[in-house]
Amino acid sequence: MTAPGQAREARFDARGLVELDERVPNVAEIEGGRARFDARDLTTRQINLELRRLIYGEGIADVVVANPGARHSLGVGILARCRIAFEGSLGYFACGMIDGPEVTIFGRVGWSACENMMSGTVLIEGNAGSLTGAAIRGGDLVVKGSVGARTGIDQKGGTILTLGNAGSMTGFMMQRGRQIICGDAGPGLGDSMYDGVIYVAGKVKSLGIDCVPGEWTDADSELIERKFSIYELGTPPRFEKFVCGKKLYNYDSLEPSERRIVL
Amino acid sequence: MSATGHHLPAEPEKIVSIDAEYLAGRRFPYQEDISLVEHVDLMAATPGQDLNWLEDVTLLEEEGTPAVFDRYSNSFVKIYFPIPDGREDEIARKVLIKHLQSGNSYGIALKERHCKFPQPQLGPWVTGSKTVGTDWRPSVLEGWEPPAH
Repeated sequence: MTAPGQAREARFDARGLVELDERVPNVAEIEGGRARFDARDLTTRQINLELRRLIYGEGIADVVVANPGARHSLGVGILARCRIAFEGSLGYFACGMIDGPEVTIFGRVGWSACENMMSGTVLIEGNAGSLTGAAIRGGDLVVKGSVGARTGIDQKGGTILTLGNAGSMTGFMMQRGRQIICGDAGPGLGDSMYDGVIYVAGKVKSLGIDCVPGEWTDADSELIERKFSIYELGTPPRFEKFVCGKKLYNYDSLEPSERRIVL
Repeated sequence: MSATGHHLPAEPEKIVSIDAEYLAGRRFPYQEDISLVEHVDLMAATPGQDLNWLEDVTLLEEEGTPAVFDRYSNSFVKIYFPIPDGREDEIARKVLIKHLQSGNSYGIALKERHCKFPQPQLGPWVTGSKTVGTDWRPSVLEGWEPPAH
């Protein structure tokens, strides 16, 4: 509380942080190379600071976060090999921009989970919102429930595996990587995709612009069987494959080196 | 333009195809010697039970030379040694992992100078690398002072 006539100190963080409290809570119990902490009474930043302290500072490779309380932006930007388990649901932008962690979320997640993920694995036991795996560049993202609209929008690599259904415009502007959808897919599947592969076991409401059925190869079977085996998902159903029809390709203005990357 | 010789500054040099050598100013030994990458364990270098993100990494070509793309610095790492038939993608991945684990990717050099939040310098590629970004301060334009209000 500022006293009358006293100038109020303005605080801000040039990095754009909203929550300015930078105190690391130091609440985790560490035993045998594993750590566990209860996030019930912690703020979003405190939870992330505690995660970083444990993983970067203490070198703990196995962390359990209890009661995450569906807070947003948890587990973002973790750039190290480790295992993280969230015992509960997370809000939006969960585990974005990660590079290396193997994450399990025992609950649901909001929109944009694992956006810009570079590598690692994320296993979500429940449903995920729209924009799941937006701009993902690598790694495996496995959703045991259903996913919302525009899952894998601008996907540039990696694999998104959904056991349930996928919403509309899934794979919108996809550029690389793989999506495996075991349920149904909403309208506009793969709209404006440049490249990559989408496998669907259920019904497709409608295909998006320039998304066409693809020819099945042994490599497709190997990929799906491998991913199902790794994540112990049982026998894979029969899938149909969809790829880019390349009717929208217009690369004349690109430099040769850019063209090689895209193609 | 007067005839007394006032010249506009020259246009900055524009580099179309950036490769790792250009960014670093030197070539790295593992670009020329296959024996320096043969031992790289790709499975150990990536999370999960398969190649994970390396599955999307393949051998490409840059300016007529075999190369692998380093997504962490948006540049190509050219490969100058002969690549055995049938091992193109494997060798490309090994060169890339060696490049990242050695700390030679230009993105890693930028981390030391510019990253805003604490993070391991060598990311997920090397366990226990030093933490950088613990003391980031916004850059200040020389001669600039904050307004008095």
